[in-house]
Amino acid sequence: MSIDSNYAHPDALVTTSWMADHLKDPGIRIIESNEDILLYDMGHVPGAVHIDWQRDLQDHTIRDYIQPEAFAALCSKNGITPETTCIFYGDKSNWWSCYALWVFRLFGHEKVKIMDGGRDKWIEEGRPLTREVPHYEKTAYPVPSKRRDAEIRAFYDDALAQSRGKLPLIDVRSPGEFKGLVTHMPEYPQEGVLRGGHIPGAHGIPWKQAVNNDATFKTAEELRKIYQTDLGLKPDDQIIAYCRIGERSSHTWFVLNYLLGFDKVRNYDGSWTEWGNRVGAPIEKSL
Amino acid sequence: MSYPAKLSAIIELFSGLPDAEKRETLIAYADQAKSQEPREGESFDLEDVRKDEECTDTVAIYLRLDEQGGAHFRISLGPQVQTLTRAMSSILCKGLEGISPADILEIPADFVPKIVGAELVRLRSQTVYYLLTRIKSVSKVWLQRQRNETQDNNG
Repeated sequence: MSIDSNYAHPDALVTTSWMADHLKDPGIRIIESNEDILLYDMGHVPGAVHIDWQRDLQDHTIRDYIQPEAFAALCSKNGITPETTCIFYGDKSNWWSCYALWVFRLFGHEKVKIMDGGRDKWIEEGRPLTREVPHYEKTAYPVPSKRRDAEIRAFYDDALAQSRGKLPLIDVRSPGEFKGLVTHMPEYPQEGVLRGGHIPGAHGIPWKQAVNNDATFKTAEELRKIYQTDLGLKPDDQIIAYCRIGERSSHTWFVLNYLLGFDKVRNYDGSWTEWGNRVGAPIEKSL
Repeated sequence: MSYPAKLSAIIELFSGLPDAEKRETLIAYADQAKSQEPREGESFDLEDVRKDEECTDTVAIYLRLDEQGGAHFRISLGPQVQTLTRAMSSILCKGLEGISPADILEIPADFVPKIVGAELVRLRSQTVYYLLTRIKSVSKVWLQRQRNETQDNNG
């Protein structure tokens, strides 16, 4: 199956079969990012490095992402230069690979792609896995001048202004979370928050609507129907997407930005774990 | 309550390992998870099979009691269950082998971070605790059934 040429940026995706034919291409780095912390160790695409969303990308002392110096060090360690095309894939329908890609974009790394269908599709097709951890020659990745938070990341105040201004907010969580019926994701009851519901004015469009059963992205036509025809979004709208901790909304951010060509989309990574617990934050329920 | 001897030995093994080896050992246990599944011809005293919300896939626990009243567990896990949880299925099947259901209920969960290590017990890996909860739940149901049967026989 090929990549739909009607996507705004079809080159943001590669198929598993393309990947299999280009494992040793110079100038690319294959990056696995998973929710399951040991999954890479159980076997990965030959040549892939592992970037862990918590260990490598987050600064837990201040609930934030790493600083530019740490990002440069991470890239250097993995043999990545600013010219390297980073191809991300992972478990959970590519949640965490989209998240890692989004963080790479925060630091201005331009050449990024997703392997459509992710890890599950690669395995389903019987393609090879290895436990051999590759070692690449260290590079001198220049420290980015800044993190592009203002461009593709939203904070609480941004989301509040968006809500008050009646601008598009997309809540990509499950319907039960959006309505306020549950205070956690169905599969993750340990991630509870104090209040259930959604940001006032947000539209509930679960991330899953953008993918097929094999975790590949839906066609451009199907995606346009969901986000443009049915929801009424326009490509130049200023949009904020959120979920619970920012990984599912990274997935939707990727869809809107790369597949539909919306260029003013921000991911509110504080998401419901911030909003639902925050003193004074208004919520809406639709029970 | 102290841990059962076999579980204690596993905890002791992990406690002495640096993080990298701890990780490798967990992978080795996860590799063995398939061998803890029910085998052809085995019968069980209690089966608890359900798609589990916490583990995002099917988790099936099978309990067999030996003549001395010791419990023996088999566990089968769906493909989406996390690697750490797979490792824990092997550890628990081996570590709790032969312990009575009543004693299983008393086992504290605080051994989990000793085995897994602080680095791996984190957001989105908490399901590692869950198998023990399910095993305790099965043990409790079995004990309750035994009590009910005893009452029925006495009544």
